[in-house]
Amino acid sequence: MKHWIGICILILTILAISFVVAANINVLVPSTNVRTLAEIYLKYTYYPWDKYFTAMSPEACTSIVWDFRGLDTVFETMVFYLAIIGAIALARGVPLKLPREIKGELGLSLIVKTVTKIVPVLIIAVAGSIALHGHLTPGGGFQGGATAAVAPVLILVVFSQFYLLKRGVNKNSMLLLRSIGLTGIGITAFAAVLIGLATGHYAFVLQNQPKPLAPDISLPAFVGGQLISGSLWFFNFFEFLAVAAGFTIVFLLITLPEKLAEAKEEKHVAEGGEK
Amino acid sequence: MITLSEYFMTILITCMIVNLGLALYGVFFKPNLIKKIIALTILGDTANTFALIIGYRMWVAGVPSRPPVFTEWRSNNPLLLFVFTKTAVDPLPQALVLTAIVIGLAVTLFLVFLTLQAWKIYRSVDMRDIRRLKG
Repeated sequence: MKHWIGICILILTILAISFVVAANINVLVPSTNVRTLAEIYLKYTYYPWDKYFTAMSPEACTSIVWDFRGLDTVFETMVFYLAIIGAIALARGVPLKLPREIKGELGLSLIVKTVTKIVPVLIIAVAGSIALHGHLTPGGGFQGGATAAVAPVLILVVFSQFYLLKRGVNKNSMLLLRSIGLTGIGITAFAAVLIGLATGHYAFVLQNQPKPLAPDISLPAFVGGQLISGSLWFFNFFEFLAVAAGFTIVFLLITLPEKLAEAKEEKHVAEGGEK
Repeated sequence: MITLSEYFMTILITCMIVNLGLALYGVFFKPNLIKKIIALTILGDTANTFALIIGYRMWVAGVPSRPPVFTEWRSNNPLLLFVFTKTAVDPLPQALVLTAIVIGLAVTLFLVFLTLQAWKIYRSVDMRDIRRLKG
């Protein structure tokens, strides 16, 4: 009961303060105009009349993330992987192996299992569409990857970890997938430079459309009549693989049954190793 | 004269400021590590929402602001593009928040791993216990 009184007083205080502030000054309300920089981004996100400044993607966020400020995103990917690698390093020595025998039925009830057999397929499909349409509609590699990582979590909770491990979703296969993703991001970043080296023209790292100093090299905005926005589609696809695999590794390690981890540790100590 | 939309926007921002204070209180003064992590995620989400509000554009004459996606790109019409730049919200904070959310999730997972490790060694996630143990 005391909690409710406190919360009510807090809410009333907020409403009163807001009323006083809104009635007197107008600083807390966003204006009806955005900054000039934002207008430039919005104008040049899809601007086929001047190829030197545009990213050829109708989605302004994706064109900022992977074209206008592409180098920032490369470093953000690095920060993301430092955190993932830190988590994997902390969990070193944790055995991700199937036990010799599994006693009894694992996981939740039959109803939940039946539903979960259907739902992860849908989750992966939605995640793929978020990632692959990232240059046309709201979405992109980061969002798609984070969505796709929900499917393994659902299976982990409902079926148990052994279900995933038995089907080859283990640490090594996910590390491989993550490495494919990161290598793909690297190759896409250097694609324009590699084409430039092969054809003897000047080009930039992370270049998408032609630039005033490198007018001859560009990645194709349309393939077979479909808009792929040059490098943006490839960046989104590879980032999707990398993020989904990175999260899956961490979720696999974090849901390890505690008994298994402890058994391994005790064995290690008994053999004379450091704990 | 105060309009309803201005009042609601001010309520939202005041709530965010209160939320920021509560989250900081949780990070600094809660002894439980899990509660500290929860407060940290609330702090991160509040900061992200502030970034989004900075890039928001208020409605003009009852016409809603648009998301920064130029949906009529097939028409190749510069006039539609001009209307788009005059009605869409700022895409830059959204682009920054997008990566911040995913990185925040990765950092949260890393912190959860640290807490799990502390639980394995000390059998406690309470800062007061862990400080006393010194192991």
